[in-house]
Amino acid sequence: MRILRVRPARLSLHAFLILTSLVWLVPVVWALYTALRPYADTAKHGYVSVGGSYGVKNFTDAWSQADMMHFFVNTIVITIPALLITLAFASMAAFVIARFRWRYNVALLVLFTAGNLLPQQAIITPLFRIYTNVKLPNWLSDSGELYDSTLGLILIHVAFQTGFCVFVMSNYMKTIPIEISEAAVVDGASVFRQYWQLTLPLCRPVLAALATLEFTWIYNDFYWATALISTGDKRPITAALANLQGEFFTNNNLVAAGSLLVAVPTLIVFFALQRHFIAGLTLGSSKG
Amino acid sequence: MSSAQNSPYARGVSRRSLFRGAVGLAGVSALGIPALTACSSSKSSKSSGSSGGNAGAATGTVTIGSNGSDAVPKKAFADLFAAADTATGLNTTINTVDHNTFQQNISTYLQGTPDDIFTWFAGYRMQFFAQQGLLHDVNDVWDKIGPNFSDAIKAQSKGLDGKYYFVPDYYYPWGLFYSKSLWSSKGYTAPTTWDDFITLCKKMKSDGLSPVALGEQDGWPAMGTFDYINMRANGYQFHIELMQGKQAWTDPKVKTTFDHWTELLGYTSPGANGRKWQDAVAMVMNGQAGMCVHGLDQAGPQFQSAGKSDDLDFFAFPAIDPANAQDAVEAPIDGWMMSKKPKNHDGAVKLLEWLGTATAQNTYLASSPNDVAAASNPDTSKYNALQKKSIDFVSSAKQISQFMDRDANPTFVSTVMIPALQKFIGDPSSISSQLSAIESQKKTIYAG
Repeated sequence: MRILRVRPARLSLHAFLILTSLVWLVPVVWALYTALRPYADTAKHGYVSVGGSYGVKNFTDAWSQADMMHFFVNTIVITIPALLITLAFASMAAFVIARFRWRYNVALLVLFTAGNLLPQQAIITPLFRIYTNVKLPNWLSDSGELYDSTLGLILIHVAFQTGFCVFVMSNYMKTIPIEISEAAVVDGASVFRQYWQLTLPLCRPVLAALATLEFTWIYNDFYWATALISTGDKRPITAALANLQGEFFTNNNLVAAGSLLVAVPTLIVFFALQRHFIAGLTLGSSKG
Repeated sequence: MSSAQNSPYARGVSRRSLFRGAVGLAGVSALGIPALTACSSSKSSKSSGSSGGNAGAATGTVTIGSNGSDAVPKKAFADLFAAADTATGLNTTINTVDHNTFQQNISTYLQGTPDDIFTWFAGYRMQFFAQQGLLHDVNDVWDKIGPNFSDAIKAQSKGLDGKYYFVPDYYYPWGLFYSKSLWSSKGYTAPTTWDDFITLCKKMKSDGLSPVALGEQDGWPAMGTFDYINMRANGYQFHIELMQGKQAWTDPKVKTTFDHWTELLGYTSPGANGRKWQDAVAMVMNGQAGMCVHGLDQAGPQFQSAGKSDDLDFFAFPAIDPANAQDAVEAPIDGWMMSKKPKNHDGAVKLLEWLGTATAQNTYLASSPNDVAAASNPDTSKYNALQKKSIDFVSSAKQISQFMDRDANPTFVSTVMIPALQKFIGDPSSISSQLSAIESQKKTIYAG
């Protein structure tokens, strides 16, 4: 009898869940469906139709027309260093904030966190001026400036992502029992050793969570790549998608295929690390 | 409470540490000040560009900024500059950026590290950047290419200071596009006067068609209709002066234009503000709509992609005031400009001199059959019927307009006219109250 009483609620819950997942899936599935059809068919029958031919030609066309391999490499060259440097810097700053008491402890945390409160777009003008005025040797940047260089793009990601990572990691580090550090101090471990050999290995879940999140954010960046890079060939994969659009005429089927291809790496990273990702997000949530 | 807060290494937030936090924040904002002052100092460092020289002997690398990122123009540009290398002995490198980014970033691009020459548009959209001092004049190029172009096109290549800043490459006409097969099956003929035009619309409506298709979601497509009605009703001179901010939008003449348009809206496809221009062209292509006001650069590729190029044709917008007849033609011109401080000025001049020839322009157009070479007397042997028709269409024009977003102040068009036109299309009766608002915003923007 009790089980029967539960059933309507459970039924409606599952109906709701199925409906919600449908709402989320429909655009993706529709994009996939559209990507499998040639333009001439959808132009004739409309996008909401069945019939005509199906095939992967749009995918191969998008891959070659947008020169995707080249831009995937660009993205990797930007994303991986930016990710590693961000996590390295953030973990160091977070370690100091979580473990040491000094005059500007809170000020430091506020400084790092406040960077996130500022809309990035608001400071583009001064940033642009700084970037065009920082001269670099040619082996670092062939434009001779920080502007229009891969290095400049990596630095901007490090600058803007470090704050959030410091905030998350310092909170996480505070949940690691201080006694472990105290024991290490008694045993004569240096500060670097406390950080590198003691704290960091314990931070694996939060590092994995941040790595997933940051990878997706940096990978999906279009804004900085557009604002700070003027050479088309240096821009990341998100920009390559725009290469599929014509000045006026755009083959939407081709763009759908290209978008799906571009989404694949983030999905791979997310599924590979999703266990850590969810664990990392809830970690530290019980902290008062 | 975590153990960290009970430890000697950390403690809870006190009033004092909060204050320190605030001091830290103030420090951050103080850091911003030297960065801001850097703006003004960098302006003075951008001094005048290099001087002209003997372009004939120029060699070396010339960089080209291109917005032709999708397959067809990308190939056309690659072919063009391969030919340029052979013809001029220069070594050209193309920097391709997708057209949307290119257009939106043009101001940053020109103040950063621009290429020696780059693609752009004629009209106010070029003059605006010349006024800002971001361009190098190309008078020395025009000494050589002058005879290749008609006076109407020459006029479109000059800045407000009378110097040349633009080398035209190609243009495409705007008109009323239709499907030949639909029209021959229904027995329609192209009207030349407004009354015939409305009669035709009525006939199409009774045949169950949407007479005029319009997709205004992107904001710009309806501008073509405004430009044409305004030029036909009030003349080219008034139209251009209106675009340049020299005539008032509250002038009764502008109201006349909108009155004609209101009449036409009765025959326009419903829900225009929610449709893309592609939908409008598709309606014409699929025989659901009679015609649409568009450019060959939009209708052409779409018919081509669906394998229906042969079915496309166009005619001139009908006359409204006999005094203006069908004299003016809207034909946006695309071409080349030189950045303020080209790394290789002599090479850039030499390249532009070559780009200003009909040979170069037809090399480009070989793979882009929806445009026409800007130079007079191009070799038309490889042109299709629509390209040939476009040449007659534009060369018989007494005046050429560019397009509202090229002839008028870009800020005014995007912030005032796009919303105003969309509101008008949604509710035509709103226009009388809108015009004075348009006029007062125009005054502010053009003064700034």
